[in-house]
Amino acid sequence: MTDLFSAVDEAAALEDLHNRNMTDGLPVIIPTPARVSKMVLASGQDADMVLGAMGPANGMATLEKVAVAAVMAGCLPDYMPLVLGAVKAVIDPRFDLTEMQATTHCTAPLIIVNGPARHTCGPVSSSYGALGPGHRANASIGRALRLAMINIGGGRPGTSDMALLGHPGKFSYCLAENEEVSPFPPMHVDLGFDSQDSVVTVIGAEAPHSVLFSGDGDDPNQYELLLEILAIGLANAGTNNAILTGGMATIVLNPEHASVLHKAGLSRQDIASEIYQRCEMDGAEANRLCAGFARKTLKPRQAFTGPDQLLILMSGGSGLYSMVMPSWSAGANKNSAVSVKVEADFYCEVPSFVGA
Amino acid sequence: MRDGVNFARIGIPAVALVTDEFWPQGDFVAQSLGMPDVPRVQLPHPIAGTGTKNMKAIAADCAPAIIKALEADHD
Repeated sequence: MTDLFSAVDEAAALEDLHNRNMTDGLPVIIPTPARVSKMVLASGQDADMVLGAMGPANGMATLEKVAVAAVMAGCLPDYMPLVLGAVKAVIDPRFDLTEMQATTHCTAPLIIVNGPARHTCGPVSSSYGALGPGHRANASIGRALRLAMINIGGGRPGTSDMALLGHPGKFSYCLAENEEVSPFPPMHVDLGFDSQDSVVTVIGAEAPHSVLFSGDGDDPNQYELLLEILAIGLANAGTNNAILTGGMATIVLNPEHASVLHKAGLSRQDIASEIYQRCEMDGAEANRLCAGFARKTLKPRQAFTGPDQLLILMSGGSGLYSMVMPSWSAGANKNSAVSVKVEADFYCEVPSFVGA
Repeated sequence: MRDGVNFARIGIPAVALVTDEFWPQGDFVAQSLGMPDVPRVQLPHPIAGTGTKNMKAIAADCAPAIIKALEADHD
Protein backbone atom coordinates (compact mmCIF):
# COMPACT_ATOMS: atom_id res chain seq x y z
CA MET A 1 0.00 0.00 0.00
CA THR A 2 1.22 3.45 -0.86
CA ASP A 3 2.04 5.78 2.06
CA LEU A 4 -0.73 8.22 2.94
CA PHE A 5 -0.17 11.83 3.90
CA SER A 6 -2.81 14.10 5.38
CA ALA A 7 -3.46 17.83 5.07
CA VAL A 8 -6.20 20.22 6.08
CA ASP A 9 -7.16 21.00 2.49
CA GLU A 10 -5.94 20.63 -1.10
CA ALA A 11 -3.94 23.87 -1.02
CA ALA A 12 -2.05 22.65 2.03
CA ALA A 13 -1.60 19.23 0.44
CA LEU A 14 -0.06 20.84 -2.64
CA GLU A 15 2.40 22.82 -0.54
CA ASP A 16 3.25 19.65 1.37
CA LEU A 17 3.98 17.77 -1.85
CA HIS A 18 6.18 20.64 -3.07
CA ASN A 19 8.03 20.69 0.24
CA ARG A 20 8.64 16.95 0.03
CA ASN A 21 10.15 17.40 -3.46
CA MET A 22 7.43 15.15 -4.85
CA THR A 23 6.42 17.42 -7.72
CA ASP A 24 8.12 18.60 -10.91
CA GLY A 25 7.86 22.17 -9.64
CA LEU A 26 4.43 22.78 -11.15
CA PRO A 27 1.11 22.37 -9.35
CA VAL A 28 -0.22 18.83 -9.37
CA ILE A 29 -3.62 17.24 -8.93
CA ILE A 30 -3.73 15.96 -5.36
CA PRO A 31 -3.69 12.15 -5.54
CA THR A 32 -6.48 11.44 -3.10
CA PRO A 33 -7.33 7.78 -2.46
CA ALA A 34 -10.57 8.19 -4.39
CA ARG A 35 -8.85 9.60 -7.48
CA VAL A 36 -6.10 7.01 -7.38
CA SER A 37 -8.64 4.22 -6.95
CA LYS A 38 -10.52 5.35 -10.03
CA MET A 39 -7.30 5.49 -12.02
CA VAL A 40 -6.46 1.96 -10.86
CA LEU A 41 -9.98 0.83 -11.68
CA ALA A 42 -9.61 2.23 -15.18
CA SER A 43 -6.57 0.01 -15.69
CA GLY A 44 -8.64 -3.08 -14.98
CA GLN A 45 -5.71 -4.53 -13.07
CA ASP A 46 -4.75 -4.98 -9.43
CA ALA A 47 -3.32 -2.05 -7.50
CA ASP A 48 -0.47 -4.12 -6.12
CA MET A 49 0.65 -5.50 -9.48
CA VAL A 50 4.40 -4.95 -9.68
CA LEU A 51 5.81 -3.53 -12.89
CA GLY A 52 9.42 -3.50 -11.71
CA ALA A 53 12.07 -1.43 -9.98
CA MET A 54 12.89 2.12 -11.04
CA GLY A 55 16.40 3.44 -10.51
CA PRO A 56 18.38 5.04 -9.10
CA ALA A 57 16.34 4.67 -5.88
CA ASN A 58 15.21 1.18 -6.89
CA GLY A 59 11.67 2.05 -5.88
CA MET A 60 9.14 -0.61 -6.78
CA ALA A 61 6.66 0.59 -9.40
CA THR A 62 3.32 -0.91 -8.54
CA LEU A 63 0.27 -0.16 -10.62
CA GLU A 64 -1.05 1.97 -7.76
CA LYS A 65 2.09 4.09 -7.55
CA VAL A 66 1.99 4.67 -11.29
CA ALA A 67 -1.68 5.62 -10.92
CA VAL A 68 -0.64 8.18 -8.29
CA ALA A 69 1.77 9.71 -10.80
CA ALA A 70 -0.92 9.72 -13.49
CA VAL A 71 -3.40 11.50 -11.20
CA MET A 72 -0.80 14.07 -10.16
CA ALA A 73 0.08 14.71 -13.81
CA GLY A 74 -3.52 15.43 -14.75
CA CYS A 75 -4.11 12.31 -16.83
CA LEU A 76 -7.56 11.12 -17.75
CA PRO A 77 -8.17 7.43 -16.98
CA ASP A 78 -8.19 6.81 -20.74
CA TYR A 79 -4.48 7.60 -20.83
CA MET A 80 -3.48 4.88 -18.35
CA PRO A 81 -2.58 2.21 -20.94
CA LEU A 82 -0.05 4.60 -22.47
CA VAL A 83 1.34 5.69 -19.09
CA LEU A 84 1.78 2.05 -18.08
CA GLY A 85 3.39 1.27 -21.44
CA ALA A 86 5.86 4.11 -20.98
CA VAL A 87 6.73 3.02 -17.43
CA LYS A 88 7.21 -0.58 -18.58
CA ALA A 89 9.51 0.64 -21.34
CA VAL A 90 11.84 2.58 -19.05
CA ILE A 91 11.89 -0.26 -16.51
CA ASP A 92 13.17 -2.62 -19.20
CA PRO A 93 16.87 -3.22 -18.40
CA ARG A 94 17.81 -2.26 -21.97
CA PHE A 95 16.74 1.30 -21.20
CA ASP A 96 19.42 1.83 -18.50
CA LEU A 97 17.06 4.00 -16.46
CA THR A 98 19.34 4.31 -13.43
CA GLU A 99 22.26 5.58 -15.47
CA MET A 100 20.04 7.76 -17.61
CA GLN A 101 18.45 9.42 -14.58
CA ALA A 102 21.83 10.03 -12.96
CA THR A 103 23.88 11.34 -15.88
CA THR A 104 25.09 14.92 -16.23
CA HIS A 105 23.88 14.86 -19.85
CA CYS A 106 20.59 16.48 -20.85
CA THR A 107 18.53 13.45 -21.72
CA ALA A 108 14.83 12.83 -21.25
CA PRO A 109 12.56 9.93 -22.18
CA LEU A 110 10.83 10.75 -25.46
CA ILE A 111 7.54 8.81 -25.71
CA ILE A 112 6.40 7.93 -29.24
CA VAL A 113 2.90 6.48 -29.62
CA ASN A 114 1.82 4.37 -32.59
CA GLY A 115 -1.34 2.49 -33.46
CA PRO A 116 -5.02 2.82 -32.55
CA ALA A 117 -4.28 3.90 -28.96
CA ARG A 118 -3.24 7.28 -30.36
CA HIS A 119 -6.98 7.89 -30.63
CA THR A 120 -8.56 5.53 -28.09
CA CYS A 121 -6.17 6.44 -25.27
CA GLY A 122 -5.82 10.09 -26.16
CA PRO A 123 -6.06 11.76 -28.53
CA VAL A 124 -2.28 12.02 -28.58
CA SER A 125 -1.37 14.80 -30.95
CA SER A 126 0.90 14.26 -33.95
CA SER A 127 0.27 17.64 -35.51
CA TYR A 128 1.11 21.28 -34.80
CA GLY A 129 2.89 21.70 -31.51
CA ALA A 130 2.70 18.03 -30.63
CA LEU A 131 5.55 18.47 -28.17
CA GLY A 132 3.67 21.28 -26.51
CA PRO A 133 2.07 23.24 -25.20
CA GLY A 134 -1.64 22.73 -25.50
CA HIS A 135 -2.24 19.00 -25.94
CA ARG A 136 -3.59 17.45 -22.78
CA ALA A 137 -2.70 13.82 -23.45
CA ASN A 138 0.81 14.63 -24.70
CA ALA A 139 1.43 16.94 -21.76
CA SER A 140 0.08 14.71 -19.02
CA ILE A 141 1.26 11.27 -20.23
CA GLY A 142 4.86 12.45 -20.44
CA ARG A 143 4.48 14.25 -17.14
CA ALA A 144 3.14 11.11 -15.48
CA LEU A 145 6.26 9.22 -16.54
CA ARG A 146 8.43 12.03 -15.17
CA LEU A 147 6.59 12.07 -11.83
CA ALA A 148 7.04 8.29 -11.60
CA MET A 149 10.75 8.77 -12.30
CA ILE A 150 10.89 11.35 -9.51
CA ASN A 151 8.77 9.69 -6.84
CA ILE A 152 9.37 6.00 -7.56
CA GLY A 153 12.78 6.21 -9.26
CA GLY A 154 14.11 8.94 -6.99
CA GLY A 155 15.49 11.20 -9.72
CA ARG A 156 15.87 14.65 -8.17
CA PRO A 157 18.02 17.46 -9.50
CA GLY A 158 21.39 17.98 -7.88
CA THR A 159 21.37 14.86 -5.74
CA SER A 160 20.37 11.91 -7.90
CA ASP A 161 19.60 13.54 -11.27
CA MET A 162 22.86 15.29 -12.11
CA ALA A 163 21.86 16.78 -15.48
CA LEU A 164 23.83 20.01 -15.64
CA LEU A 165 20.97 22.01 -17.13
CA GLY A 166 18.31 19.46 -18.09
CA HIS A 167 15.85 20.42 -20.81
CA PRO A 168 12.19 21.34 -20.97
CA GLY A 169 11.28 17.88 -22.27
CA LYS A 170 12.01 16.62 -18.79
CA PHE A 171 8.60 18.00 -17.81
CA SER A 172 6.92 16.05 -20.58
CA TYR A 173 8.13 14.69 -23.92
CA CYS A 174 5.42 12.79 -25.73
CA LEU A 175 4.01 12.71 -29.24
CA ALA A 176 2.32 10.35 -31.69
CA GLU A 177 3.25 9.50 -35.25
CA ASN A 178 0.90 10.92 -37.85
CA GLU A 179 0.23 7.59 -39.50
CA GLU A 180 -2.67 8.97 -41.52
CA VAL A 181 -0.50 11.54 -43.31
CA SER A 182 2.86 9.78 -43.38
CA PRO A 183 3.77 8.22 -46.75
CA PHE A 184 5.65 5.47 -44.93
CA PRO A 185 4.36 2.46 -42.98
CA PRO A 186 3.86 3.28 -39.29
CA MET A 187 7.09 3.23 -37.33
CA HIS A 188 5.93 0.35 -35.12
CA VAL A 189 5.21 -1.79 -38.19
CA ASP A 190 8.78 -1.30 -39.37
CA LEU A 191 9.87 -2.27 -35.85
CA GLY A 192 8.09 -5.61 -36.26
CA PHE A 193 4.68 -5.00 -34.70
CA ASP A 194 1.30 -5.55 -36.33
CA SER A 195 -0.38 -2.46 -37.77
CA GLN A 196 -3.33 -2.92 -35.39
CA ASP A 197 -1.06 -3.11 -32.37
CA SER A 198 -0.70 -0.03 -30.22
CA VAL A 199 2.90 0.55 -29.25
CA VAL A 200 4.73 2.93 -26.97
CA THR A 201 8.37 3.48 -27.89
CA VAL A 202 10.59 5.33 -25.42
CA ILE A 203 14.07 6.64 -26.17
CA GLY A 204 16.39 8.88 -24.19
CA ALA A 205 16.66 12.06 -26.23
CA GLU A 206 18.08 15.55 -26.16
CA ALA A 207 15.73 18.46 -26.75
CA PRO A 208 14.53 18.71 -30.36
CA HIS A 209 16.95 20.47 -32.70
CA SER A 210 15.30 22.21 -35.63
CA VAL A 211 16.48 21.36 -39.15
CA LEU A 212 15.54 23.94 -41.77
CA PHE A 213 15.04 22.72 -45.33
CA SER A 214 13.17 24.47 -48.10
CA GLY A 215 12.62 22.09 -50.98
CA ASP A 216 13.08 22.92 -54.65
CA GLY A 217 10.58 21.06 -56.80
CA ASP A 218 12.69 21.74 -59.90
CA ASP A 219 15.66 19.89 -58.47
CA PRO A 220 15.29 16.14 -58.78
CA ASN A 221 18.16 15.65 -56.36
CA GLN A 222 16.83 17.89 -53.61
CA TYR A 223 16.36 14.87 -51.38
CA GLU A 224 20.12 14.50 -51.14
CA LEU A 225 20.42 17.97 -49.64
CA LEU A 226 17.71 17.12 -47.14
CA LEU A 227 19.50 13.93 -46.12
CA GLU A 228 22.72 15.87 -45.72
CA ILE A 229 21.23 18.60 -43.56
CA LEU A 230 19.43 16.05 -41.37
CA ALA A 231 22.74 14.25 -40.83
CA ILE A 232 24.50 17.50 -39.94
CA GLY A 233 21.83 18.33 -37.39
CA LEU A 234 21.79 14.87 -35.90
CA ALA A 235 25.52 14.25 -35.50
CA ASN A 236 27.34 17.56 -35.51
CA ALA A 237 30.69 17.63 -33.75
CA GLY A 238 29.20 18.84 -30.48
CA THR A 239 27.00 15.78 -29.99
CA ASN A 240 27.80 12.74 -27.90
CA ASN A 241 26.89 10.57 -30.87
CA ALA A 242 29.60 12.11 -33.04
CA ILE A 243 32.32 12.06 -30.39
CA LEU A 244 31.57 8.99 -28.27
CA THR A 245 29.99 7.23 -31.28
CA GLY A 246 27.01 4.94 -30.95
CA GLY A 247 23.63 5.25 -29.30
CA MET A 248 20.22 5.42 -30.87
CA ALA A 249 18.79 8.78 -31.95
CA THR A 250 15.56 10.18 -33.33
CA ILE A 251 14.50 11.97 -36.51
CA VAL A 252 11.03 13.52 -36.70
CA LEU A 253 10.19 14.39 -40.29
CA ASN A 254 7.54 16.95 -41.10
CA PRO A 255 5.02 16.12 -43.85
CA GLU A 256 6.89 18.02 -46.60
CA HIS A 257 10.24 16.49 -45.83
CA ALA A 258 8.73 13.02 -45.57
CA SER A 259 7.15 13.59 -48.97
CA VAL A 260 10.44 14.71 -50.55
CA LEU A 261 12.15 11.54 -49.38
CA HIS A 262 9.23 9.31 -50.32
CA LYS A 263 9.02 10.76 -53.83
CA ALA A 264 12.72 10.02 -54.24
CA GLY A 265 11.78 6.37 -53.82
CA LEU A 266 13.25 5.99 -50.36
CA SER A 267 11.75 3.74 -47.70
CA ARG A 268 12.25 4.36 -43.98
CA GLN A 269 15.11 1.86 -44.03
CA ASP A 270 16.64 3.62 -47.06
CA ILE A 271 16.46 6.98 -45.27
CA ALA A 272 18.10 5.53 -42.19
CA SER A 273 20.86 4.02 -44.30
CA GLU A 274 21.48 7.24 -46.22
CA ILE A 275 21.60 9.38 -43.07
CA TYR A 276 23.76 6.82 -41.28
CA GLN A 277 26.32 7.00 -44.09
CA ARG A 278 26.32 10.80 -43.93
CA CYS A 279 26.89 10.85 -40.18
CA GLU A 280 30.59 10.36 -40.66
CA MET A 281 33.37 12.27 -38.97
CA ASP A 282 37.07 12.40 -39.58
CA GLY A 283 38.89 10.77 -36.67
CA ALA A 284 41.59 13.42 -36.53
CA GLU A 285 38.97 16.13 -36.37
CA ALA A 286 37.13 14.38 -33.54
CA ASN A 287 40.39 14.08 -31.61
CA ARG A 288 41.25 17.72 -32.25
CA LEU A 289 37.89 18.86 -30.90
CA CYS A 290 37.46 16.48 -27.98
CA ALA A 291 40.60 14.46 -27.37
CA GLY A 292 39.48 13.36 -23.92
CA PHE A 293 36.47 11.48 -25.19
CA ALA A 294 36.96 10.77 -28.88
CA ARG A 295 37.97 7.26 -29.86
CA LYS A 296 41.66 7.14 -30.67
CA THR A 297 41.47 6.58 -34.38
CA LEU A 298 42.38 8.87 -37.21
CA LYS A 299 40.15 7.02 -39.65
CA PRO A 300 36.71 8.27 -40.59
CA ARG A 301 34.15 6.93 -38.10
CA GLN A 302 30.38 6.72 -38.14
CA ALA A 303 28.41 8.44 -35.39
CA PHE A 304 26.11 5.42 -35.19
CA THR A 305 26.76 1.70 -35.29
CA GLY A 306 24.20 1.10 -38.02
CA PRO A 307 21.07 2.42 -39.76
CA ASP A 308 18.92 0.52 -37.28
CA GLN A 309 20.08 2.96 -34.59
CA LEU A 310 17.99 5.74 -36.13
CA LEU A 311 14.32 6.03 -35.17
CA ILE A 312 12.45 7.83 -37.94
CA LEU A 313 8.86 8.98 -37.68
CA MET A 314 6.60 11.59 -39.18
CA SER A 315 4.93 14.07 -36.90
CA GLY A 316 4.23 17.76 -36.52
CA GLY A 317 2.63 20.44 -38.66
CA SER A 318 3.28 21.43 -42.25
CA GLY A 319 6.24 23.73 -42.99
CA LEU A 320 9.99 24.04 -43.28
CA TYR A 321 11.20 22.33 -40.15
CA SER A 322 11.92 18.77 -39.18
CA MET A 323 13.44 17.88 -35.82
CA VAL A 324 16.34 15.72 -34.79
CA MET A 325 17.14 14.51 -31.30
CA PRO A 326 20.73 13.43 -30.72
CA SER A 327 21.24 11.33 -27.61
CA TRP A 328 23.33 10.66 -24.55
CA SER A 329 24.59 7.49 -26.27
CA ALA A 330 26.10 6.02 -23.09
CA GLY A 331 24.98 3.35 -20.63
CA ALA A 332 25.57 -0.37 -20.90
CA ASN A 333 22.99 -0.62 -23.67
CA LYS A 334 24.07 2.51 -25.51
CA ASN A 335 20.89 4.53 -25.28
CA SER A 336 18.59 1.83 -26.60
CA ALA A 337 15.00 2.61 -27.49
CA VAL A 338 12.46 0.21 -25.99
CA SER A 339 9.08 -0.52 -27.58
CA VAL A 340 6.20 -1.96 -25.57
CA LYS A 341 2.91 -3.22 -26.94
CA VAL A 342 0.04 -1.50 -25.16
CA GLU A 343 -2.24 -4.00 -23.48
CA ALA A 344 -5.56 -2.26 -23.91
CA ASP A 345 -7.81 -5.27 -23.35
CA PHE A 346 -7.79 -4.93 -19.57
CA TYR A 347 -9.05 -1.39 -19.46
CA CYS A 348 -12.49 -0.23 -18.54
CA GLU A 349 -14.22 3.09 -18.77
CA VAL A 350 -14.71 4.93 -15.50
CA PRO A 351 -17.48 7.52 -15.61
CA SER A 352 -17.56 10.68 -13.51
CA PHE A 353 -13.82 10.88 -12.99
CA VAL A 354 -13.76 14.65 -13.04
CA GLY A 355 -14.49 16.12 -9.64
CA ALA A 356 -13.66 13.00 -7.70
CA MET B 1 29.89 4.74 -6.37
CA ARG B 2 28.09 1.78 -7.93
CA ASP B 3 31.45 0.27 -8.83
CA GLY B 4 32.59 0.64 -5.23
CA VAL B 5 29.45 -1.06 -3.96
CA ASN B 6 29.71 -3.81 -6.56
CA PHE B 7 33.34 -4.54 -5.66
CA ALA B 8 32.54 -4.51 -1.96
CA ARG B 9 29.70 -6.97 -2.51
CA ILE B 10 32.07 -9.53 -4.01
CA GLY B 11 34.58 -9.02 -1.24
CA ILE B 12 37.15 -6.90 -3.01
CA PRO B 13 38.30 -3.92 -0.93
CA ALA B 14 37.28 -0.78 -2.78
CA VAL B 15 37.18 2.96 -2.26
CA ALA B 16 34.88 5.12 -4.36
CA LEU B 17 36.37 8.44 -5.44
CA VAL B 18 33.67 11.10 -5.48
CA THR B 19 34.04 14.80 -6.19
CA ASP B 20 32.52 17.25 -3.76
CA GLU B 21 29.85 18.29 -6.28
CA PHE B 22 28.72 14.68 -6.56
CA TRP B 23 29.01 13.81 -2.86
CA PRO B 24 25.23 14.00 -2.20
CA GLN B 25 24.59 11.80 -5.24
CA GLY B 26 27.15 9.34 -3.90
CA ASP B 27 25.33 9.21 -0.58
CA PHE B 28 22.03 8.69 -2.39
CA VAL B 29 23.35 5.83 -4.52
CA ALA B 30 25.08 4.16 -1.57
CA GLN B 31 21.88 4.27 0.45
CA SER B 32 19.64 3.14 -2.38
CA LEU B 33 21.92 0.16 -2.98
CA GLY B 34 21.77 -0.78 0.69
CA MET B 35 25.41 -0.02 1.52
CA PRO B 36 25.39 3.48 3.01
CA ASP B 37 28.84 3.13 4.59
CA VAL B 38 30.73 1.98 1.52
CA PRO B 39 34.19 3.65 1.75
CA ARG B 40 34.64 6.81 -0.25
CA VAL B 41 37.09 9.68 -0.54
CA GLN B 42 36.14 13.18 -1.50
CA LEU B 43 37.95 14.92 -4.35
CA PRO B 44 37.70 18.54 -5.53
CA HIS B 45 35.43 19.34 -8.46
CA PRO B 46 36.00 19.49 -11.36
CA ILE B 47 38.78 17.08 -12.26
CA ALA B 48 38.02 16.14 -15.87
CA GLY B 49 39.81 18.41 -18.30
CA THR B 50 41.86 20.27 -15.68
CA GLY B 51 45.21 19.05 -17.03
CA THR B 52 47.83 16.48 -16.08
CA LYS B 53 49.59 18.69 -13.55
CA ASN B 54 46.41 19.29 -11.57
CA MET B 55 45.35 15.66 -11.73
CA LYS B 56 48.74 14.53 -10.40
CA ALA B 57 48.47 17.02 -7.56
CA ILE B 58 44.99 15.77 -6.67
CA ALA B 59 46.22 12.16 -6.84
CA ALA B 60 49.09 12.97 -4.48
CA ASP B 61 46.74 14.72 -2.09
CA CYS B 62 44.15 11.96 -1.95
CA ALA B 63 46.43 8.91 -2.02
CA PRO B 64 46.90 8.82 1.78
CA ALA B 65 43.16 9.01 2.32
CA ILE B 66 42.60 6.16 -0.13
CA ILE B 67 45.21 4.00 1.62
CA LYS B 68 43.70 4.84 4.99
CA ALA B 69 40.24 3.88 3.77
CA LEU B 70 41.51 0.61 2.34
CA GLU B 71 43.28 -0.23 5.58
CA ALA B 72 40.13 0.53 7.51
CA ASP B 73 38.23 -1.74 5.12
CA HIS B 74 40.49 -4.63 6.09
CA ASP B 75 39.96 -4.19 9.83
